[in-house]
Order: sequence, then structure tokens, then C-alpha cells
Amino acid sequence: MKHTLVCGILALGSFPLAGQWLNYPAPGIPRLPDGKPNLAAPAPKAADGKPDLSGVWMIGIGPYIGNITSDLKPGDVLPWAEALVKQRHENLGKDDPSKFQCLPLGPRFTAVITNPQKIVQTPTLVVILIENLTYRQIFLDGRDLPADPNPDFMGYSVGRWEDDTLVVTTAGYNDRTWLDGGGHPHTESLRTIERFHRKDFGHLEIDETFDDPKAYAHPWTVKVTADLMPDSDLIEYVCGENEKDSAHLVGKASDPTVKGVEVAQEILARYPGVYAGNTFSGRPFRVEISLSDRQLLGAGQPLTPVSDTKFLRPGGAQLEFIEENGEIVLEVNDVAGLVARLPRVREGK
Amino acid sequence: MTTGFRRGSLIVLCGLALIASCASGQWLNYPVPGIPRLPDGKPNLAAPAPKAADGKPDLSGVWMISQGPYGGNIANDLKPGDVLPWADALAKQREENLGSDSPLIHCLPAGPRFTAEATNPQKIVQTPALVVILNQNLTYRQIFLDGRELPADPSPDFMGYSVGHWEADTLVVTTVGYNDRTWLDGAGHPHTESLRTTERFRRKDFGHLEITETFDDPKAYARPWTVKVTGELTPDSDLLEYVCNENEKDVPHLVGKASDVKGVEVARELLAKYAGAYAGILPNARPIRFEIYPSGGQLLFSRNGSAKQPLTPISNTKFMALGVQLEFLEENGEIVATQFIGAAGEVRLPRVREER
Repeated sequence: MKHTLVCGILALGSFPLAGQWLNYPAPGIPRLPDGKPNLAAPAPKAADGKPDLSGVWMIGIGPYIGNITSDLKPGDVLPWAEALVKQRHENLGKDDPSKFQCLPLGPRFTAVITNPQKIVQTPTLVVILIENLTYRQIFLDGRDLPADPNPDFMGYSVGRWEDDTLVVTTAGYNDRTWLDGGGHPHTESLRTIERFHRKDFGHLEIDETFDDPKAYAHPWTVKVTADLMPDSDLIEYVCGENEKDSAHLVGKASDPTVKGVEVAQEILARYPGVYAGNTFSGRPFRVEISLSDRQLLGAGQPLTPVSDTKFLRPGGAQLEFIEENGEIVLEVNDVAGLVARLPRVREGK
Repeated sequence: MTTGFRRGSLIVLCGLALIASCASGQWLNYPVPGIPRLPDGKPNLAAPAPKAADGKPDLSGVWMISQGPYGGNIANDLKPGDVLPWADALAKQREENLGSDSPLIHCLPAGPRFTAEATNPQKIVQTPALVVILNQNLTYRQIFLDGRELPADPSPDFMGYSVGHWEADTLVVTTVGYNDRTWLDGAGHPHTESLRTTERFRRKDFGHLEITETFDDPKAYARPWTVKVTGELTPDSDLLEYVCNENEKDVPHLVGKASDVKGVEVARELLAKYAGAYAGILPNARPIRFEIYPSGGQLLFSRNGSAKQPLTPISNTKFMALGVQLEFLEENGEIVATQFIGAAGEVRLPRVREER
């Protein structure tokens, strides 16, 4: 059973090859004397005088990827939604629509994404391109939200400028997507408000407010930051190309063959620390491993051991600790296409 | 092997798997600012092509491509022998399998089939350094206009790597780096990773886009060739999200072989009952009209006024042709409608009562 599970997850990883265009020096980027992009330079302006949000952006990995409700109190998630999250966890996340059914990310999109996104801005339209070959449109031409939108994955978005901040309101989501890797649901009543502010050339601040009174007791806001990836671009990743492996994910989280692998405390104690480097597609990536109450955590999420060296993170990523010349190296294989081999840059506990 | 019926059945089955059940939203009629209008408020599609802020022609807009014969057969204008034997054999095998191995049925991106083979609207978003083309199925492609060269050794992917430049009023786009997993048309003409396409986009006037696409794949075709298609602006409208994986359930049903499917005999008096016009609106909000003519023991149809083509009967009520399945519906002894299935969706088209 555990082999099947691990094989299934391995088969879902994609290994996009780095193309040389990833290092195309884009014109218009302010540079330091050594030619490197000056990410602290002022945010650029578009031809119409508005801040120009255009660029390839990588959202910082935070607690919201696994749990968008990290900041909520018990009871804020309505009981039916809480029960559904538990059930999805028990099913090892194999009903995750965006990973195993290759469906679009929906509202999960802004705050909870591990792949770069590209913002293309015109005076009346912003398009956001995602590496998985899906996109969303944000209309800036003054139109109102439709009164009775036809629910779809990406919803219907309108935006306007408040000083230097682009405020985007979206309604008309269907209820088929999850808000995070942990399986928090939403209904068709969900409305999101995103506020995009380009603090300087290299940094974008994004607040996203989730308002879904049918699933959550009150609206709440998560804050994330994104780093510009200058001189780079998206690498096409098509989920359907590698899909069909969800059939192999037949376990349950409570299944003893999945959960029951006991790893000795002294082995677990060897792994904590900060692992950082580049993914195989050339992205900087960093993850912190810690140990809490005999349980290993990856970026704050509990890791389920499937062997002394292999662990699963909720949402399907596989982590393997490999010892090389006395050093621990972490291999990450995220089903969304993020594959990395990361040296430990700092030991932790 | 290349009868109209076989190709037709293939296309229809592809269409079945692609049917979107999206309802029209009210935003489909949002009057977009900046569109030249006639005195009655309708868009003036014959007005001059607009210019972008940088002085280049502005190709932005929602476009419906008329693919002509190339959607079913991209090699329509080629001579026998121009398709290399292995490629010809593969296309025939794919037809025989009723297209069940079509990458579109498996919800993969359309790849280079894109320009000449779109049956849904596409939206062009133009900036000075980048053109993005958005498809209703949520896929997109990027065309870099910032002066960069094509990569020498691209990593093959579905959409390829595209660079464009302006030659007078024409945007010339060259693309390499396609993988070999997509088909060039509904019939299953293959291509290799050596494929290079050159597209030329010219906005003739406000409402019309002329596109030529040259296919150059020496490993599959004896010589490069060029197809011409046109795009019509769909003003005051937008794309309707259509997600293939949401509806992908048809693959297991595609179990037959083309050679198993044979036309049937339908009595002439039945055929005569179907004569007339049937009209309605497709899921993509485009009007559609069929005229049905019995002729010499078979049915002919004309779609939106096009030339008459034969329909192959597969039962007393169901008929097929390239990209078309029609089922005639009877109520109280009268033919009241036809159920149309095609790549653009499925819709019941009521019979139009007209004085003849």
C-alpha cells in the first residue's frame, strides 16, 4: 500500500527542463552597476500613469498553502465545512480537484500557489497567466460585476485603482475548487477582494479577503508577498499530461500502513533546518523543517512518515531526506510540478 | 478511407467530448467602449482597423475564426505524396479509431492547431512587447514582441515558443518548440518536434482579421504549405470559460471503429418530412441555421447559407456530416426540431415556419 501511494505521487511530478529563455534579460528593468536587476528601485508606471504590475511573480511560500484559515479561530469555519476538510484529509487529498482532476485552481489562485504567475496589464484589462496554462481576466473598463453570474472556475473579476493599489473584486465562482491544499471548501456565494500593491520594483504585496457566509462565520484577510522573477518567464506545465495517477492513491490517512510508520525520535531529530536552493525549473525555493511533539513539520504542516526518510505533506507533496557525505539534502516533489533538490542551509531543531 | 462520412463521424465524436454546457451570462452583451458604431448603435465592422498607443495596428478583440475546410483536414490543399507515408498511415489509423486518441478528447491543449482550427472565440490582448492569445478552454499562448530571438534548443511543449515582429501592418509570428503530442486537425494529421509555424495576422478593417499559417515540418510533410483563414470580430462580447476536464467522460464511450459504422437506408417519404429550416443559438452565443433538402434519395444540408453538402443517415432520424450530427425530433406526427451536435456544442434547433 505504501509503495503504491509513493509511486503514484512520484508519477505525478513533472520535470520541466530549464530552457535558455529563462535568462532572457528583459528590457526596461532597472539594473545595479553589476548588471543585476535592482529590485529595490521604485515601482514602474504604465503609459497611462498607473502603477505597472506587469511581470513574472512568485508568491512567497507561507502557512496559507496548506491552510488558508491559519488565522481563524475555532468555530469560524462552519461545522459542515470543517467536517468536509477532515474527510478530505482522511482521503489523503486525492480528491483535490486542481491536482488530481487537473481542474483550474479557482480562488485558490492568488494566495495559495507554488508556481510563478505573470501579470499582463493594459489600461482596461489585466490578464494573469499561470504556469499550468490557465489564466484569469480582470476587467478595468468600469463595468460592474454581473448581478447573477454564471458560476465558473475563475469567477468574474472587475478591478479599479485606489491610489497605487489595484482592488479586484471577484464573484461567480463555482463551488468545485478548494481554497487550499488542506481542502477548505467554499460555496458559490464566495466573493474575494484582492488588493495588489507594488511596493517597489521587485516586490508585490497582496491582501486577499475571503467572504463566504455559507461556509465561514466572518470574512477574513490573508496577506502574502510576491517576489519579481526578473529576466525569466513561465514554463508551460500541463497537468493533464501526467494525470490518471489518482487511481493509484487508494489509501486513507488513518490507514495504519500509511500512518503507522514509526520513525525513531533520533532519526527525526536529524532533519530540522532550513533547506533552500533552486527547483529543477530554476526557481528559488525554500522550506523550513521543524520538529514538534515527535512530529516533523514542513512549512508548519504535519508530515506523514512513509519510511525513515520519506514523508508526505498534506496536499500530496513528497519530501525525501537524503544523506550525502554527511550532509542532509531534501528532495521535494510537489504534484503541482515543483521539483527541487535542496541543500540544508541552516540546521534547526 | 477519406470519405466525407468517416471524417465527419470523427469530427462529430470529437465534438461530443468537447461540448460545453455553459449558459450565456449577461456580460456577453457588455457594450465595450472604443468600438466605432453606426447610427443605430451597432458596431461598425467596416470602420478602419484601430491603432494601438504605439502606432501599431491593434489586433485586440474577441475573434471567431472561420477555419473552412482546414479544421477537418489541414492538408486539404496538399497533393497525394506531400504527406509522408508514416504520417499518412498514422492519420488513417486515428480515423479508424474514431479519434478516441485525440489529445483534445484527453483535455490536452490544442498546440499548433490553434490558429486555423479554433471553433470557439479567441481573445487577443496586445501590449507593445507582448501579445497574449486567450482561449475559451482557459489555455493561452504568449507571443514575445520585445525583439528576442527564438531559442536555439527549446524545451518542447504544447504551445511552443513564439516571437513576433511587425512587417508594415502585419504581425508575423514564428513558433518553434512544439512537442509532438498534438494533432494539426480533426482528422489526426500528425507533426513532429521539428514543426515550425509562421503566422501572419492582418486586421483588414475593424471587424475582420486575415490570418495565414505556414506549416513547415520536413519530417512529416514533403514541403511547407500555407493555409488562409479569417477571423470575425465578436464585438461587445467576451470568452465564456469552458473547462474540458470538467466534462471529460466521453473517452470510454468511444470504443468503435470507423469501419464498423455504415450508413443506413432511409425511406424517401421519411426524408421528405425533414425538409425545411431549423435555427437557434449555439452555447457560444452564435446564431446557427440549417436548411435541409431531400435530393435523389439522400438529405443535403446547408449551414448558415453555405454550399449544400450530403448527410449520411445512421438511423431513421440521425444524420451525420463533417462536424455535424443532426437528429430530427417528432411530436404528434410533426417534425418540430433538430438536435444539433457539433464542436461548438449541442443545441435543440426549432423548425422555422416559413412560407415556401
